[in-house]
Amino acid sequence: MGVMEKLDLQAQVAREYLTFRLGDEEYGIDILKVQEIRGYENPTRIANAPHFLKGVVNLRGTIVPIVDLRMRFGCSSAEYNAFTVSIILHIGQRTIGVVVDSVSDVMEIPAEAMRPAPEMSSAIDAAYIRGLAQVGERMVILLDIESMLMSPDMGLVD
Amino acid sequence: MAEMSTDNSQASAGIDLSQFYQVFFEEAGENLENMEQLLLELDLTQADDEELNAVFRCAHSIKGGAATFGFADVAELTHQMETLLDKLRRHELAPNAAMVDVLLASGDALKAMLARHQGAGGDAIETSELLFNIRALVAGEAPPVPIAAPVAAPAPAAAAPVVTVAVSSGQRTVELQVGPLSQPSQADNLLDLFKEITDLGTIEALPDAPELAGVRRFKVNTATPESELLDLFTFHVAREQVKFVSLEAPMAAPTPAVAAPPVKDEGFGFFEPLPGEAAPAAAAPAAPAGKDTGYGFFDNAPGAPNAAPVASPVVPDASAAGKPQAPKVAPKAEKPQAAALESSTIRVSVEKVDQLINLVGELVITQAMLAQNSRSLDPVVYQQLVTGLTDLDRNTRDLQEAVMSIRMIPMSTVFSRFPRMLRDLANKLGKKVELVTQGEATELDKGLVEKITDPLTHLVRNSCDHGVEMPTDRLAKGKPEVGTITLSASHQGGSIVIEVRDDGRGLSREKLLKKAREKGIDAPDSLTDPEVWNLIFAPGFSTAEEVTDVSGRGVGMDVVKKNITSLGGTVEIDSAEGYGMRVAVRLPLTLAIMDGMSVGVGEEVYILPLSSVVESFQVSEEMIKTIGGSGRVVEVREEYMPVIELEKVFNVPRFDWEHNSGIMVVVEAESGRVALLVDELLGQQQVVVKNLESNYRKVNDVSGATIMGDGRVALILDVGSLVRRSRH
Repeated sequence: MGVMEKLDLQAQVAREYLTFRLGDEEYGIDILKVQEIRGYENPTRIANAPHFLKGVVNLRGTIVPIVDLRMRFGCSSAEYNAFTVSIILHIGQRTIGVVVDSVSDVMEIPAEAMRPAPEMSSAIDAAYIRGLAQVGERMVILLDIESMLMSPDMGLVD
Repeated sequence: MAEMSTDNSQASAGIDLSQFYQVFFEEAGENLENMEQLLLELDLTQADDEELNAVFRCAHSIKGGAATFGFADVAELTHQMETLLDKLRRHELAPNAAMVDVLLASGDALKAMLARHQGAGGDAIETSELLFNIRALVAGEAPPVPIAAPVAAPAPAAAAPVVTVAVSSGQRTVELQVGPLSQPSQADNLLDLFKEITDLGTIEALPDAPELAGVRRFKVNTATPESELLDLFTFHVAREQVKFVSLEAPMAAPTPAVAAPPVKDEGFGFFEPLPGEAAPAAAAPAAPAGKDTGYGFFDNAPGAPNAAPVASPVVPDASAAGKPQAPKVAPKAEKPQAAALESSTIRVSVEKVDQLINLVGELVITQAMLAQNSRSLDPVVYQQLVTGLTDLDRNTRDLQEAVMSIRMIPMSTVFSRFPRMLRDLANKLGKKVELVTQGEATELDKGLVEKITDPLTHLVRNSCDHGVEMPTDRLAKGKPEVGTITLSASHQGGSIVIEVRDDGRGLSREKLLKKAREKGIDAPDSLTDPEVWNLIFAPGFSTAEEVTDVSGRGVGMDVVKKNITSLGGTVEIDSAEGYGMRVAVRLPLTLAIMDGMSVGVGEEVYILPLSSVVESFQVSEEMIKTIGGSGRVVEVREEYMPVIELEKVFNVPRFDWEHNSGIMVVVEAESGRVALLVDELLGQQQVVVKNLESNYRKVNDVSGATIMGDGRVALILDVGSLVRRSRH
């Protein structure tokens, strides 16, 4: 058993999540996947890419694709204002940015606070939802961001 | 063609290995350091297989290199070390401190040898003791010579008698028995061996002894240790078949015991410490009563009976040998020089260099941004800042140049493979060809060097196969019998030009045109010569009368052209029938940076590789004609070419509806031309090429991306793909 797996087990007890808002919904992703958070900057458009792929930006010399999660999840509006941020994720060997409405918090969510997501049809495949967590009055949707972004229908990999 | 045999000529016959010596010395030095480190870290009680393997690999690489470059002494010692290490890694022997000591001492001896070969001078390094010790260890014994007795100093007295075993050099005459051999003539090779290596001494055949069937006998007078002789002989006869039998006492210390007539018994006269025989022998001196066991041992001759007197003069030697390195290293005064040679270069992984290049690329971009933003500043008020920025500009450029030069390697790494290839090829074809190389020192980006090798190989092959005529034909034409193929490399502006020239038959205009028409290619007689020559790049084109296994299947030149184009390069052909031809390959110096032309389409900026841009001009709406309603063409210099609207290809959003794109940029790739319709030409600049695939994926019609002066990303267009697009 590798060190990573051991860490994974430990982390399952209580992982830290970065939570952010998309419209009225609150989502959480594993904080360990987050490289940095940046203000939104206009990317260079890529022709004939899916509509949620905003384009590519220059991140200190690296070309990074930017995905607007709001468009991916079919939010009613996707405005770009002073609160709009890009979360730069480090996934596998790749660096990918996602656009969200605003970043809320970093919170520790214990495994027992997680509830399975019900089977239902939505813009997000249930396979990419790790679970739902009740935090106070709020419900946080915990995403498996890595498998979601790497899935073929995102078109981020060849 | 007088200019063909100019400087740097390198005949196809011989390759000068000396240019690679430095590389070998560096590598060997590294391997030795590594080995020493590994040996020192080796846990004797629980040796790790991986570590033992690593030590073995070190020794093995040194041996390989040394053998290639003809450093026999280095190869010999490493070979023995390798034998020992091999047994260790196979767990046939358990590692012990003595082995590590011997191996470390051998490492030191190797260092000294390398320093000597590297020009530090000094005497040959005496290794017979080391070799002897290693062999003993291989045979599973304690080392007879206490190379480094655990407590170094006090040992010599006890060890003294033993030492004599190893000191086997000195002029002496021995009888050499070889056999039994199935073909006794095999042994005659040994006579030649002595002829070739004059230092060995003399050898003469003795009449065959009747009692030893199939065994050849020789009388050898030599100063070379048996171990070395044995190693040399193994090239001709198996080691087990070689025996040394003493004829007379060594001159150094004649003793009655050895003066005895040649021994007949097989068991005697063994020098080689074979496991069975040698064990008691090596142990013998410890027991002074070694009457029979030591008998007939050549080396042991001065040993047993009169151990004390003989031992004493050797004692200093033994105590010296107690310290691992002391006697074997080159004189100290020469060390600094050797050290200077070693440290003149360092080997760094390509990743590190690439990282450095990336960082510098970013710095260049940041610098460009600063320069752009500072333009609006009043130079009077911000004088210091402006001066500082100017300096920064210059320093960044210098830095970039310096860093890029790290990746540059000389063309000789490519050229060096051709003499051999050409020699084999010429022999196969029955032609006589001489290869002349020029400008091998011209440097090219490592990535490009790797990619240009195959196309160049193809061109050289073509020259030899199709270009150079058979010797008789050449003579009949009044040319020298030996054809010349010239490879040259030179810098021209921002690119490198590699030429392959031959003085063969050249291209035939008539043949090419005829062939082209056979292939269904439109080839009017009005084609200019260069256009005709370019026909050979058409797919499936081959002018060879018959297909050989060398070339002539027609799958060559088009691939060559394609590969070179994909590197951002061009190919030109020049030919004079009957006198030869010249293929010039022009390549950018590096793949990481390229000259680009930025064009504006709507609000967006795209980069075109400058090398593919032919011309640009303003158009008006009426110059563009349509074919079949949608296919648009434009007439440029009496040639209609397809028009590609970048706006449509990239779905560029428009906000200014009344605007008309008015600029055409004619680009060329894969022997096709298209006219790109753009809004404006923004300028030319060097761009640092980044790939999109590392974080994203391949994008159609885009070959990469770059970062502009304002920090934004611009896409670099794949002209080849745009040209293909126009064909469908």
